[in-house]
Amino acid sequence: MADTATTHAVVLRDIGKRFPGVVANHDVDITIRTGTVHALIGENGAGKSTLMKILYGVQRPDEGAIILGGQEVQLHSPTDAIAHGIGMVFQHFMLADNLTVLENVVLGAEKLHGIGDAARKTVAELSDRYGFGLDPDQLVEELGVGDRQRIEILKVLYRGAKTIILDEPTAVLVPQEVDALFENLRVLKEEDHTILFISHKLDEVLAIADDITVMRRGTTVGQARPGSVTKHELAEMMVGSELPTPAKEGSTVTDEVQLELANVSVVDPRGRSLLTDISITIHRGEVLGIAGVEGNGQAELVETIMGIRKATYGQVRLGDVDITSWETRGRREAGIGYIPEDRHRHGLLLDSPLWENRILGHQTRRPVAKGMWIDRSGAREDTDRIIEQYDVRTPSTDTLCRALSGGNQQKLVVGREMSGAPALLIASHPTRGVDVGAQAAIWEHIKRARKDGLAVLLVSADLDELIGLSDRIEVLHRGRLVAEFDPRDVTPQDLGAAMTGAHEDAS
Amino acid sequence: MSIVRRFGMGLLAPLTAVAAAMLITSIVISLSGSSAIEFWEIIFSRPADRVFVNIVNQTSLIYLAGLAAAIGFRMNLFNIGVEGQYTLASYAAASLAGAALFPGLLNVFMSLLLAVAVGAAWAGIAGVLKVTRGVSEVISTIMLNAIAITLVGYLLNRYGVKVGNGVRTEVIPDGSRVDGWFPFAEPDGPVWALGLLAVLGGIGFWVLLNKTRFGFDLRATGASQSAAVASGVNVNKMVVYSMLMSGGIAGLIWMPSLFGAAYSYGTTFQAFLGFTGIAVALLGRNQPVGILVGAVLFAFLNEQSNRLTLETDISANVVQITQGVIVLAVVVAYEVVRRYRTKLEQRSVTETLEADKTAKGKAVSA
Ligand SMILES: Nc1ncnc2c1ncn2[C@@H]1O[C@H](COP(=O)(O)OP(=O)(O)OP(=O)(O)O)[C@@H](O)[C@H]1O
Ligand SMILES: [Mg+2]
Repeated sequence: MADTATTHAVVLRDIGKRFPGVVANHDVDITIRTGTVHALIGENGAGKSTLMKILYGVQRPDEGAIILGGQEVQLHSPTDAIAHGIGMVFQHFMLADNLTVLENVVLGAEKLHGIGDAARKTVAELSDRYGFGLDPDQLVEELGVGDRQRIEILKVLYRGAKTIILDEPTAVLVPQEVDALFENLRVLKEEDHTILFISHKLDEVLAIADDITVMRRGTTVGQARPGSVTKHELAEMMVGSELPTPAKEGSTVTDEVQLELANVSVVDPRGRSLLTDISITIHRGEVLGIAGVEGNGQAELVETIMGIRKATYGQVRLGDVDITSWETRGRREAGIGYIPEDRHRHGLLLDSPLWENRILGHQTRRPVAKGMWIDRSGAREDTDRIIEQYDVRTPSTDTLCRALSGGNQQKLVVGREMSGAPALLIASHPTRGVDVGAQAAIWEHIKRARKDGLAVLLVSADLDELIGLSDRIEVLHRGRLVAEFDPRDVTPQDLGAAMTGAHEDAS
Repeated sequence: MSIVRRFGMGLLAPLTAVAAAMLITSIVISLSGSSAIEFWEIIFSRPADRVFVNIVNQTSLIYLAGLAAAIGFRMNLFNIGVEGQYTLASYAAASLAGAALFPGLLNVFMSLLLAVAVGAAWAGIAGVLKVTRGVSEVISTIMLNAIAITLVGYLLNRYGVKVGNGVRTEVIPDGSRVDGWFPFAEPDGPVWALGLLAVLGGIGFWVLLNKTRFGFDLRATGASQSAAVASGVNVNKMVVYSMLMSGGIAGLIWMPSLFGAAYSYGTTFQAFLGFTGIAVALLGRNQPVGILVGAVLFAFLNEQSNRLTLETDISANVVQITQGVIVLAVVVAYEVVRRYRTKLEQRSVTETLEADKTAKGKAVSA
């Protein structure tokens, strides 16, 4: 063992980490071979993110050893970790939109190559070497998610990382971008970099990983190699249950219109068109899927329906009421549920307990409010119901939201927005970050509500989810609806082509 | 953790801060060549009856000021303008009460109403500027302070009554004075009846924040504006409402004193309470009970320090150093205690886990 230690980029031994009320990690043992892609999978709250934060020096372990290149080290901060060649890309990008690629990469690491030509040369070289195709002088605001992620990776490479941690990197990517990312990872691997990545998407894991480690309830429960294991077996190791297939059932679409957008356009203050002439109709019992690469107007579309943004032209009707000029609160009271794409920024109060988060967005309605008063016990009880029905793993309803794992936070948001039998659900990436078991459960909840007449606008980067849940799919590209598909006979390839604008060019 | 322990933990931070402040004050006094021991002897002496009454009265004023500041703070609105708001409101209320347009207690009531209205309006200007023009409330309230103080000075000179070297508003008629209760002998003075406004204010503040929808919206906006917006809070409205409320309470700050002792606005007006309120709100972490503790502490130090000038060579201003250090130290101490608490909790988790393990180990080996 000792003589092979040098070919092991990272060895974690007996790692333990506790938070108030939970054991996030205990007896974790992982060995990561140099020059491999190592996938870390496991159900929500299994302790994956915590473990990676320990390796990146963000959290200190309570016990156990971190051994890098055969040497035991103490990591007190990310700076320490980078000094040891470890870099991490968080799920939420940390880029300044109004700066260039070069500026973003160099920011905070000016000491390495300065900020002038030497830095530009290094950035260009790195981008070329790994096939990132980034232009150092382009503004970040002009770039899509895929490129942004490459900038984040470039940032860690620039700082000299040899081992790169990616926490759920593919959650925000559409399939083409996932392929591109994996291509980059392969090149990195050839150059002897080690990649550690967390994912809930087992197909991807099997496609790219050399080794797979499975975590459950805070500890490592198994190792596998892609060649000798199937998706089913992995899922079983993770959650101990069958893999869900988004099976289609009979159509529940009625002819009663629940939401109608008529020629909606949104122009920003600088005169740029964000949405152009959008007309959609969703009936009761119908799920309308919106496909598109992130940043093509999905956020604007959703915000316009929620009243967070005002339509510059056009009309929004809920049932037969014109709600174009309504505020967000009125729309929510009228029965619109809203699962925002960014749960941290728009869906939760991270430093408030779960029961207060149950109230958020429902401030004026039972069972969490009575007249002008907040109903604490009502909120607590209903939070318990959500915890139970959506399997939110938490010590109690008084736990702060921040202490929940990403997937469990998502489950709470979904459970809340499905509360009180909404008439319309605006769902952006409803299963982003949740494990396969929870994903199936959420789909089941949505399908059941649809049977009872729920209309759903579903925005998702997950094409399986789109195809599996939707009754109809519209493709959004550069703020316009460019194509419509029937999910029964569409292939991910067709969708993919339309999403990147092939249809528009043809017309 | 047991209730007792949790309560003890809650006190730990402020107590550490007070200890640090005492230490630093002592050092400053010693460095300036005076006796720190003498200083603390006077500060910690049993207050004379008269001083005791003053402490209670001052507490009510400072507490109202703290509440006024805290409402804005809970929403991340920095209303630095409490000072200007209550100055203007006090002048307006004193003028109305002095004019005696209404009889007896109705006069008091109408004057209080005017004070609230003026304070709210003055703060409201900053709120409206923020939501319509994007002007930072910090800047606008500082400017509004200057304007309010200058304006009151001008109005007082123009319309006030000249008495000796000073100017004041008309004196409130006998029937509209609300002195209060005399807990000790008559010369020791009354505990002002309108100090009850502070009690009502504190209870109202707690109920509003913790029990009402409005309070929830306010706290949500303070915690995460983007999440509040997505939940249906109209942030612009909230900014204006909370500025109005903050200013409205600010308007009441000096009222107990006006109707209980001063009877007119003039040289007897007590300035700077607005800034004290900001410090006390910070000290009490914008919580009603915390602010109360802060207000008592500040009132106590202020009143006890009056004796210094008479009996020692130490300037009474030294207590301002103590107060300043307390506020700073509290901010630090809260963070330290928070970390310590997390550690303790983690340790207790470990202990339960260990116990679990041994129990399980036995079960397995059996
Ligand atoms: N800062 C924290 N304070 C308290 N508890 C925490 C904290 N961070 C994580 N936890 C807890 O530790 C456990 C593991 O969380 P972690 O985020 O590592 O899970 P995960 O495997 O990344 O899950 P997911 O797939 O949902 O992202 C969870 O029970 C979580 O509630
Ligand atoms: Mg995670």
